[in-house]
Amino acid sequence: MSVLRRNNVTVTGAGRGTLFFAHGFGCDQNMWRLIAPWYAERYRTVLFDLVGSGGSELSAYDPVKCASLQGHAEDAIELAKEFGQGPCVFVGHSVSAMIGLLAGIASPDSFAAHVMVGPSPCYIDDGDYVGGFSRDDIESLLGTLESNYLGWASNMAPVIMGAPDQPELVTELTNSFCRTDPEIAKHFARTTFLSDNRADVPKLRSPTLVLQSRDDLIAPVVVGEYLHRHLPNSTLTIVDNVGHCPHLSAPSPCSAAVDAFLLAQGL
Amino acid sequence: MSAADPDATLFEQAACGLARTTVDGRFLRVNATFAAWLGRDVEHLVGRRRLQDFFTMGGRIFHQTHWVPLLEMQRSVSEVKLELVRADGEKIPIVFNAIRRERDGEIIDDVAAFVARDRDMYERELLRSRRRLEELVTEARRVQEGESARAVFAERMVGIVSHDLRNPLSTITMACELLAKSAPTERQARTIGMIQRGVNRATALVTNLLDLTQAQAGGGISVARKEIDLREFFASTMEELTFTHGARLLEWTCVGDGACFADPDRLAQVIGNLVSNAMTYGAPDHPVSVRAEVEPGHFAIAVSNHGPPIPAEVQTSIFEPMKRGTNENDRRRSVGLGLYIVAEIARAHGGTATVTSDATVGTTFTVTLPRRETDT
Repeated sequence: MSVLRRNNVTVTGAGRGTLFFAHGFGCDQNMWRLIAPWYAERYRTVLFDLVGSGGSELSAYDPVKCASLQGHAEDAIELAKEFGQGPCVFVGHSVSAMIGLLAGIASPDSFAAHVMVGPSPCYIDDGDYVGGFSRDDIESLLGTLESNYLGWASNMAPVIMGAPDQPELVTELTNSFCRTDPEIAKHFARTTFLSDNRADVPKLRSPTLVLQSRDDLIAPVVVGEYLHRHLPNSTLTIVDNVGHCPHLSAPSPCSAAVDAFLLAQGL
Repeated sequence: MSAADPDATLFEQAACGLARTTVDGRFLRVNATFAAWLGRDVEHLVGRRRLQDFFTMGGRIFHQTHWVPLLEMQRSVSEVKLELVRADGEKIPIVFNAIRRERDGEIIDDVAAFVARDRDMYERELLRSRRRLEELVTEARRVQEGESARAVFAERMVGIVSHDLRNPLSTITMACELLAKSAPTERQARTIGMIQRGVNRATALVTNLLDLTQAQAGGGISVARKEIDLREFFASTMEELTFTHGARLLEWTCVGDGACFADPDRLAQVIGNLVSNAMTYGAPDHPVSVRAEVEPGHFAIAVSNHGPPIPAEVQTSIFEPMKRGTNENDRRRSVGLGLYIVAEIARAHGGTATVTSDATVGTTFTVTLPRRETDT
């Protein structure tokens, strides 16, 4: 199966380098809708869905390969090989920031720099380390997913109550956004929230921007600070944003921080 | 809405929880119904607390990873089911709908909440039965895989063992023939005859085993059909069998004559298997009778014996491998391949094998084959 089909790849724009945008747990590449066009004016931009999410090839979801983030990191390296032109930058939200980290360690030449939006190397508290969650919290999430995906398994389009200002957006999104096979969703949730990549963090030598929201339940400021301390070549920028998706709720401060970082890297 | 508004209760005491929040989730308004479900006063909530503060931790993660992006992208969410944690710690399953709007320059979210205890219980039942079903399917698959692995192993074993047994058996046969030529005494000759009959039976069994392996693994028994004179072929086959089975009475007749198109070695195997079957299970004090009949389009071989009938329920599966008409503890038991091979050979010729059995006329196995390839 082609990588293009497997990861539902969308390539737009052109420029002196390639930006890869990887979405986080729960949704798909549409998460980048508000900031990707801005970069397509100056870079080749590659949007894609992690296998098991959005419009990716669900049959390619191998529970063994995808039982660790390493499997997704291998996919990311393949994507860079196939779609990268010039220096490549991996922009990863949430769990994808760690997928980028693993890809960057396994294949240091694939990505010249990394942007991590709301990253966390470990979600569960462990001794002095504060991840923000306990194992019970993650079990509770799995229960919540189960009851919310129950009605979604039948592949029915959801009832949309209205987005009168953006009608075309709605029809486009409703079929895939935030939806996937319930079993995959649970498996991916487990892989994501039980992952612990703290030992890998110091191994990423490439320049990295940690984009941290001021108030983020999933990745608290202490976690962003932890990453900044342990990543050998990192910049920490705190965005005035509440929530885990600053690229959606605060796109301008996000792109300003990314622009400054890319400029500083000569990209 | 003023206090004098006669419809004020429509909001306050609505049949669902209603709330208006900022995009961060902070309560701007909340109706009495919702506040009561939360076990809080309205004043305690408005401006002070956020909707997501009352979710379980799993609900809060879901809110951040699903609800917020959905509202941001499609301006509404529907049928999101989360648990609210009341002041007293009790959890209530709630189904939420929310719409994002712009009002007086502010972006706000309007939220409707419905208690979903029954739906929750129903869903839990569904999940439980689904899990149970999945367990059963997994278990069934495991058993099936184990069985098919065992079957493949058994088949290989049978193939290898029977192939390896052929060499020592032919050595014994050859040695018997040499002994028979070396002027044995009468007693020695009888003993040689016993050895030869035993080896013949063992060789027949090994041949059947090899045919079974071929039929099951290779998609059918191979036959090489050629023109034979049935009357002539039948007479010589029956003479050999009479010699092999010694003292036991074997009657045979041939009705009609003419050329038939069949594999003579396979046909001899069919007759041999049916006769030895009849000898084993038939009444020892009655003869086994074999009848060959040539008709215009087909020919048939029928082998009959007296004795206890084969039960009707056994007759239906008697041509399957490892099935026998008598019970497991019968001391004459064999591996139960003979009839399967007979049926397979008949099939390879485009013919059939059938059985009739009752207490008065006894048991008859009949193999009916087309005379020519074009006959059916």
